[in-house]
Amino acid sequence: MKKMKENTSWLRFRIFIVLVSFIFVFIAIFIRAFQLQVLERDKLKALADRAHLKAVSIIPKRGTIYDRGMRELAVSTEVESVYAQPAKIENIKKTSGLLASALSIDRKELESKFTSKKSFVWVKRQLDFAEGEQIQRLNIQGIGFVKEGRRFYPNPQIAGHIIGFVGVDSKGLEGVELEYEEYMAGASARLIGERDAHGNEILFDSTDKDASKGMNLILTIDKTIQYIAEKELFKAVSNNKAKGGMVVVMDPSTGEILAMANAPHFKPNNFYEYSNPSIWRNKVVTDAFEPGSTFKTFLVAAAFEEGVAKPNDLFFCEEGSYGVADRVFHDVKKFGWLSLAQIIKHSSNIGAAKIGNRLGKDRFYRYINDFGFGAKTGIDLPGESSGSIPHLRGWSNVALGNISFGQGISVTGIQLISAFSAIANHGYLMRPYIVKEIVDGNGNIVKEFRPEVIRKVVSEETARKVTAILKEVTKTDGTGIKASIDGFDVAGKTGTAQKPDLFQGGYVSGKYISSFVGFVPADNPELVILVIIDEPSVGEFYGGVVAAPVFKEIATHGLAYRGVFPRGTHDTIKPLQVNLSSIDFREDEHEDFYRMPDLKGKTVRSVLRLAREIPLEVKVFGSGRAAYQRPLPGERITQDTLAEVWFK
Amino acid sequence: MLRLRDVDRMLILTTTALVATGLIMVYSTSYIMAMKKYGSEYFFVKKQFIFILIGFLFFIIASKIDYHFYQRWVYPLLLASFALLLVLAFIPGVGNEVGGARRWLKLGPLTFQPSEPAKLAVIMYLAYYLSTKKEKIKTFSRGFLPPIIMSGLFIALILKQPDFGTALSLGAIAIILMFIAGVRLRHIFSLVVFAMPFLYLMVSRVDYRMKRMLTFLDPWKDSDGAGFQLVQSLIGFGAGGIWGVGLGSGKQKLFYLPEAHTDFILSVIGEELGLIGISSLVVLYLIVLFCGVRIALKAEDLFGQYLAIGITLLILLQAVVNMAVVMALLPTKGLTLPFISYGGTSLVVNMIGMGILLNIYKTENRR
Repeated sequence: MKKMKENTSWLRFRIFIVLVSFIFVFIAIFIRAFQLQVLERDKLKALADRAHLKAVSIIPKRGTIYDRGMRELAVSTEVESVYAQPAKIENIKKTSGLLASALSIDRKELESKFTSKKSFVWVKRQLDFAEGEQIQRLNIQGIGFVKEGRRFYPNPQIAGHIIGFVGVDSKGLEGVELEYEEYMAGASARLIGERDAHGNEILFDSTDKDASKGMNLILTIDKTIQYIAEKELFKAVSNNKAKGGMVVVMDPSTGEILAMANAPHFKPNNFYEYSNPSIWRNKVVTDAFEPGSTFKTFLVAAAFEEGVAKPNDLFFCEEGSYGVADRVFHDVKKFGWLSLAQIIKHSSNIGAAKIGNRLGKDRFYRYINDFGFGAKTGIDLPGESSGSIPHLRGWSNVALGNISFGQGISVTGIQLISAFSAIANHGYLMRPYIVKEIVDGNGNIVKEFRPEVIRKVVSEETARKVTAILKEVTKTDGTGIKASIDGFDVAGKTGTAQKPDLFQGGYVSGKYISSFVGFVPADNPELVILVIIDEPSVGEFYGGVVAAPVFKEIATHGLAYRGVFPRGTHDTIKPLQVNLSSIDFREDEHEDFYRMPDLKGKTVRSVLRLAREIPLEVKVFGSGRAAYQRPLPGERITQDTLAEVWFK
Repeated sequence: MLRLRDVDRMLILTTTALVATGLIMVYSTSYIMAMKKYGSEYFFVKKQFIFILIGFLFFIIASKIDYHFYQRWVYPLLLASFALLLVLAFIPGVGNEVGGARRWLKLGPLTFQPSEPAKLAVIMYLAYYLSTKKEKIKTFSRGFLPPIIMSGLFIALILKQPDFGTALSLGAIAIILMFIAGVRLRHIFSLVVFAMPFLYLMVSRVDYRMKRMLTFLDPWKDSDGAGFQLVQSLIGFGAGGIWGVGLGSGKQKLFYLPEAHTDFILSVIGEELGLIGISSLVVLYLIVLFCGVRIALKAEDLFGQYLAIGITLLILLQAVVNMAVVMALLPTKGLTLPFISYGGTSLVVNMIGMGILLNIYKTENRR
């Protein structure tokens, strides 16, 4: 019995030895894995990358860009690219000849490509449809095809500066194409070379096409309003023989950009045809300028908020000339005593300087910053500039006077309209944005952008008081009378700024930036519109003459399109239906229908709002979020279509 | 809650985790190749899934059969598996030749690897023989020679296929089992010394084995030729890093790594799931090891103890050798990773082994 026990313990001991050996082996394996995966990782990874780079990258299908009504602004189509595997070509001369003539490329160049030692060469990428057909019919040995994405902008006239464009390698270079590159690009697909038993390379498309597709963007832009804005801007620039200009339309309650136009414009399909690349810049966000009198709005808002002035306070406007230190300020017209409201209405610089004096530089400086000047707004577009506000230490009394009427500082268009929107939006400054949603290939929302309050700049009370004064600007003998619209109260401010002389200091005579910024309807603002005309060269140059009428045109059409009725016309006038087919789009001949947007997950309210924008008649069933719809997403619809949406 | 004492539940859970990991990794490693060669990305994974179902069936059956059954049937089982190996070795036309080696028997549309059940049969035999000899185990003629001759016969037939890796691992299992049973160390050492020249001859005589031996020492020397596979395997580990490149995103399996779904599946796990994935797998195997040893220690008789150790060795030895090989710690052998690699026979046999382990545990707990 004792022997037996002894045996058992020896047995246990031997099993224990085996167990411990195994544990040591596993520890060794773990250490080895740690060595390979952590310590030597960089070395091995570099080798891996080198091996994989031999594989050829192909351009994936980029995401689509839609406007807020799901109308396509940028699409990618799959086109054929043709490559060659030189080792497999039987007759290099003949093959190069055939390809050269079919694709109109240089034969010599092809021949030298085909005689190279490489296992893979591109012959021509992103062929036209006809070219692709032709080459495929030739069926030459050693020549192969692969589908690549190619960018196309179906409305080449519209929104070029917002959309931007992509380069030859399908990388976004400007606009949202650049800003959202990582979402839109899609995973780079690869062709992998496999060596078979005979050492030949076989190309093999290893990637999952669906997985590599880029995501789609839905912009806040409304194609129709964008079109109206561009049309009116171009008209004004050409009538005034101006150097250029810009228009921005914003929804003040959300910060959504509904339209953003630059003149001169460019066509993204042919972006490379413009010799001066500065034309690609979206100057609304990239360029800063002296705002001039529109800036008085913020001075007044600050003065009200701080309680240093009331609308009826009187200021003596020095009969048109007012000396401060070594400088003399001038007004366009000579004024005596004016109330604060009248100073804005007639845009007196001397009056503004006196208000500024009463407010004081510290407080004014603080409000300028609070309105968002001197800092980027954070809009989702590339190359934003922050403008420049001189530091408080550098503010002399002259500078304070200058800044009170918008000189000696520089602001961007997007800053100006955002700050102005804060007045329209009860004092809340919103972050401007241009992309509403990022959606994947199956329509699932990947990212949703919501209105974002940056800060409350002034009280509602102040905003209301400023609005009341701004309404006067567009009434009889106000500077902005030409912006007035029958049946609406318009709140706005004109601006006429001399252009600073960058070389000699001071200002260039005869060169102006004429502007108007305003919102309508004044008491329940639907749209905020900024109009800037750069260097008008015929006739008058005042903002009230050059820019205000542009505002009026855009606002009139825009309000009608959004279904906002003039006073007293409720139910008697149907909203103007801006049918894109009735407008001359020239390069846009296919635009006589819309496609049904995907409504899934949307609320009843947002569906109705969307329907109003398209416009489309909608029958609603149930409540909650849209679950099912007819017609289906992407189907063609006309204005007669009756859509049905079921909510759950 | 799972307690450490619930060896049976732990064993079932671990086995399930291992085969599930295997199924996922077989898909990840094979779908592109399967798509290309067989027109369906699910070609291998579908078959593996069926193997797993069959494996679980056998697992359940084996766990219900009292393991003393094998004690009585050990010789018929041994004879049957020996016969299968003989048929494969000497009757032409019945074997499925792949890359110059005949390791598979054709059974209609199925193929079957006789060396896998043979390993299990030899383990049963050794457990039976060693457990009945008690004191005589210390003697040369009764304790040492018979099991050596019996295992040697099997090893010789497996070598003839040739399947060097399986032969060696069977030899190792036999030696370790004999060591545990108390065969004199001096006998075992003399056997190893005796076998060395033969081993050397076998390696040096066959060109590719010599190459494998040498490349493992420095795979980078000939990274385009003999060391290609190994270098690609190491690159896979390196590319994975700590967290891995993500399931299905590995690049090495795209023709850089031959046999990614069988012998080199661990490299793809290293690439896609990183050090985290490798460590988790190591932990799973360690659990199998602990369960096996625990069951062996508590088994009610010597036969049960040896059988449990044998089965644990069958799985663990192959696991560590495969892991060591793909990380270039050992020369390349044609061994797969138990429960993970693609392959029906070894999966089913390993599942039977787990079933037997479970039965030994249940028997001991019934007492």
